[in-house]
Amino acid sequence: MEEIDYSKIGLKAGLEIHQQLDTGKLFSRTPSLLRSDKPDYVVSRRLHAVAGEEGEIDSAVEHEAALDKEFIYEGYDDTISLVELDESPPQSLDQDALEETIKIALLLNCEIYPVSQIMRKTVIDGSNTSGFQRTVLIGHDGFVETSLGKVGIESVALEEDAARIISKDGKETRYRLDRLGIPLVEVATFPDLKNAEHVKETALKLGEILRAGKAKRGIGTIRQDVNISIKGHDRVEIKGFQDPKMMIKTVNLEIERQQKDLKEKKKEGGVRNALSDGITEFLRPIPGRARMYPETDLELLRIGRHDINDAKRNLPKLKSEKRNELKKFGLSEELMNLILADGEMSEEFNILMKVYDGNADLVGKMVSLWRNELTKKSGKKVEEVKQVLGERELEKILEAVKSRDLEEGEVKRVMGDVLSGIEIEEAIKIEKVDDNELEEKIRKLIKEKPGLRENAYMGLVMKEMKGKIDSKKAMELVKKVLEE
Amino acid sequence: MTELNFSAGDEVKLRLAHREIEGRVLETGEKDIILLKLKSGYNIGIKKENILGSRIVKKYQEGMENFEMPATNKKKKNVGLIVTGGTIAAKLDSKTGGVHWLTDVGEFSKFYPEIFNIANVKKIEVPFMKASESMDSDDWKKIAKTCEKMLDDPEISGVIITHGTDFLGYTAAALSFMLRDLGKPVVLTYSQRSIDRASSDASMNLMCSAHMACSEAAEVMLVGHGSTSDDYCYAMQGSKVRKMHSSRRDAFKAINTEPIAKIWSDGKIEFLKEYRKRDDSRKVILDAEFEDKVALLKFYPGQEPEILDYYALKFKGLVIEVSGLGHLPVSETGDRNWIPRLKKHIKSGLIVCAAAQTIYGRLDPKVYSNGRELEDAGVIFLEDMLPETALVKLGWVLGHKAFKGNVREKMLQNFSGELNSKIGLEGFD
Repeated sequence: MEEIDYSKIGLKAGLEIHQQLDTGKLFSRTPSLLRSDKPDYVVSRRLHAVAGEEGEIDSAVEHEAALDKEFIYEGYDDTISLVELDESPPQSLDQDALEETIKIALLLNCEIYPVSQIMRKTVIDGSNTSGFQRTVLIGHDGFVETSLGKVGIESVALEEDAARIISKDGKETRYRLDRLGIPLVEVATFPDLKNAEHVKETALKLGEILRAGKAKRGIGTIRQDVNISIKGHDRVEIKGFQDPKMMIKTVNLEIERQQKDLKEKKKEGGVRNALSDGITEFLRPIPGRARMYPETDLELLRIGRHDINDAKRNLPKLKSEKRNELKKFGLSEELMNLILADGEMSEEFNILMKVYDGNADLVGKMVSLWRNELTKKSGKKVEEVKQVLGERELEKILEAVKSRDLEEGEVKRVMGDVLSGIEIEEAIKIEKVDDNELEEKIRKLIKEKPGLRENAYMGLVMKEMKGKIDSKKAMELVKKVLEE
Repeated sequence: MTELNFSAGDEVKLRLAHREIEGRVLETGEKDIILLKLKSGYNIGIKKENILGSRIVKKYQEGMENFEMPATNKKKKNVGLIVTGGTIAAKLDSKTGGVHWLTDVGEFSKFYPEIFNIANVKKIEVPFMKASESMDSDDWKKIAKTCEKMLDDPEISGVIITHGTDFLGYTAAALSFMLRDLGKPVVLTYSQRSIDRASSDASMNLMCSAHMACSEAAEVMLVGHGSTSDDYCYAMQGSKVRKMHSSRRDAFKAINTEPIAKIWSDGKIEFLKEYRKRDDSRKVILDAEFEDKVALLKFYPGQEPEILDYYALKFKGLVIEVSGLGHLPVSETGDRNWIPRLKKHIKSGLIVCAAAQTIYGRLDPKVYSNGRELEDAGVIFLEDMLPETALVKLGWVLGHKAFKGNVREKMLQNFSGELNSKIGLEGFD
C-alpha cells in the first residue's frame, strides 16, 4: 500500500462506540442476562405506520417494509418482564447504569447535562418491541488525550440495547428479548481523527475508558463504528469491527475505495460492514435522522452536583494507571497481565497487599495464576471458585502467613484444600506429612487389620493423623497399597 | 434572573455562562427549567437561573394541517365513529412537546387509518374529550344519545366508540342498559399503548372493531386484544367485561361468560356464543334515565357497619361487594353486626344489593345461614353480576319511575346478558 497523505485527501474520521454495561436492565428490574436455553414462551407482534409529522423523517420505504412483517419475540418467565414485552410502562432509570455513565463521561472530560429527557428513537425493524429505542444524553463536549493531541467527544448517551435477532425468514423475524434493555453507553467523537493509526489508537483508548468500570466483556459487548470521508465524498459509516487491529487496514482500504469512487465520478455515502480481511461491503444507504420524541412515561432526568461529586470520588482507574501501580511492586510482566485481565483482580491484589506486603509475587499468584489453575483442575465454574476462594478467604490465608502459622510455600496447597471443601482453619492446621511417611503408616495399619474395606482403612488413617493430612492423598495411597 | 420572552415552539438561542445553545423550546410542567429540543433530536433541560440572555431565531407558527377525509367507497359498509378521549385519542405535538387531544375531525383519518381502510366512516362525533375517570352518568347519556342518532341513519351499519380504558367497563355497562332493542352493533374500543408509537395496540383493536361494527351481532360490545400477541381480538359483552390489568394489551376479560366472538384483523370472525342478530329495520330505543345517588362499597374485615349511616344519608341505592358466596358479619354482638343497621336503612328506603368481591363466580345466599340472614334483612343478591355493572344497573333501574316498587325484580331481570345462569369452566384461568 502506498503512503497516504491524510491531510491532502481531506480525511474526516470519527468514532462511535457502544459498550454494554454490567448492571441490571436500564428500565426494568430484570437481570442483563443473555440465555441460550429454550425460551418459555413466544409472543407475536406487528408494527404499524405512525402518522408522520412534518420535518421529522420516518423513512416511508422502511415503514412499508415493516408493515407486512410478523415479529416473534422469545421470552423467559423468570428473567423477562412486562417492560421488555412492551406491556408495562418503563420503570425508573437504573441507578448503577446512570452512575457508570456519569463516570465514563467524566473520564472523557465531558460536561454533564443537569437536566435531560429520556427520548424514544423510532426503530421499526422489530428489534424493539415498543417500536423505539430509549436513549438519553448524559454528557457533551469532552475530549480524550491521544498521541496526536486531543480528540473531541461530541456526546455521551445512555441507551437500551435492542433484542437479539435469532432468525429471519421471509415475512417472519424472530428475536430473543434477553438483550433488550441492557444498558449501552454510546460515545461519539467529533471528526477529529487524523489518520488510520489514529483511529485505532483512539478506539483502543476509548475502549479502555469504557471498560474501566462495570462493563460487560466478550463478543458483542462493545461495538465500534467508524465514520469516514475524504474531500468530495459523502460520509461512509463502517460497522462491525471485530478487532481494532483491523482498523488501520480497513480505514486505508476505505480511503482507496473512496478515491476510486471519485475517479469514477461517484460519491455516495452509505453504511458498510467491515469484513475480516479489511474489505468492507455495502449494507444500506445512510438512514435519515431517526424520529426522536420524548418518553412521556418517565420524568425528566436530573443529575445534580452531588451525583457528579459522588461519581468523581469513585472514578474507576484505567488499566494503564493500574499497570503503573502494579509495576511499583516489582511484579513480572506476565503476572501483571494476568492480574489486569480482570478489573476485580487488581482491586483484590491491592487489598490483599495491605494484609500481607511481604511477597507481592505470592499475592499476585494467589489472585490470578493459582486461582486460574485451580479452576481448570477442579472443573468448577470461575464464579464458584471466586466464591469459595474470595477476597475474605485469601485474606485469612495471608493473615496466617503473616502470623507465621503458615509457610508461604503451603499457600497454594491450602487454597486447593479449601476449594475441595476443607474449612480454612483446618486446611491451615494441616501439617505437611511426608507422603512416604504416610504410606508407611497405611501399610502398617493394613498389615495389623487385614481384610477391611477402603473406607474403613480411611477412617482409621484419618483418626490416627487427626486432620494433619490431605484426605484425598490418603485415599489415593490406601487404594495404591490395597491394589499392590 | 433574565426575563425570558419566548414560548413553546420557538427556535431560540440561549446564552449561558460558557457557551451558547440553540434549539426549539418545548412545553414542560417543570417551572425551573427551559426544555429544549437540540438539532440532534435529543431534549435537554436548562435551569432558568443559568440563562444569561436569549434570542428568538424563529417564532413558532401554528401549522395549518389539512386533513382530507378519504373518498367513500361504495363496496365498503358505513360506520359511525364516536370519539370520547383516552389514550386512543391523545397525541404528542412534536412542535411544542405537549400531549393534546385529537381535535380536528379530519385528524382521525390520519390517526385511525385502520377503520377507514375497512369501512367508510360516514359520521364522526366528538361529544366530549375526557379521560375516562372524569366521566359521569351525563357523559354516558351523551354517548348513548349520539349512538341513537347514528344508529337511526339507515346507511350506518354500526357504531365504533373510542374511549379511555380505566372506566371503559362502566360505560360499556351503561350503554348495555341505555340502548334498548338494538338492531345494529355498538362497539367500544381502546388503546393501552399510545397511538403515536409503532407498537400501539390501537391498530389491531380498531381493525377488529371496524369488522365487528359491520358484523351480524347487534350487541353492545367491547373489542380488544385477546392475548398479549397481535393475533386476534375478542368482542366481549358490554355488561360482563372488566379491566383486569393496569397495562397489558389484553387488559379486558369477559367475566363469568365467554366472549361473544374472536376476530382477526383480516375480517375473519368466529362467534363463540349466542348473540342477538342484526336487524337493520329495528329502531333502537334510547332509555337513558339515571339516578346518580348510587354507590359501590367494598367490604373488608373489621369494617364497621356504621358506614351505612353515611350511605343511607346521601344515597338511594348501594351495592356492597361482599365476601365469598355472599357474607357480611351477622353473628357478632353489638356494633360489629351488620344486620340491625341494614334492616333499619332498608326499611327507610335504601336499596342494598350484594355483588361478589371475588369478581368471578356467583353469590349464593342459601348455602350458609349468614347469607340467609342478609337476604331476610332485604339485601338483593345479584348472582354473578359484576359489581361495577351492578352499580350502573342500580342507577339505571332507580332512574326509572316506572320501576318504582319493583326494584328487586328489575335488578334480577336479565336486560342485557348481565346475568348468566349457566357459568361454565371457560374464561377463568
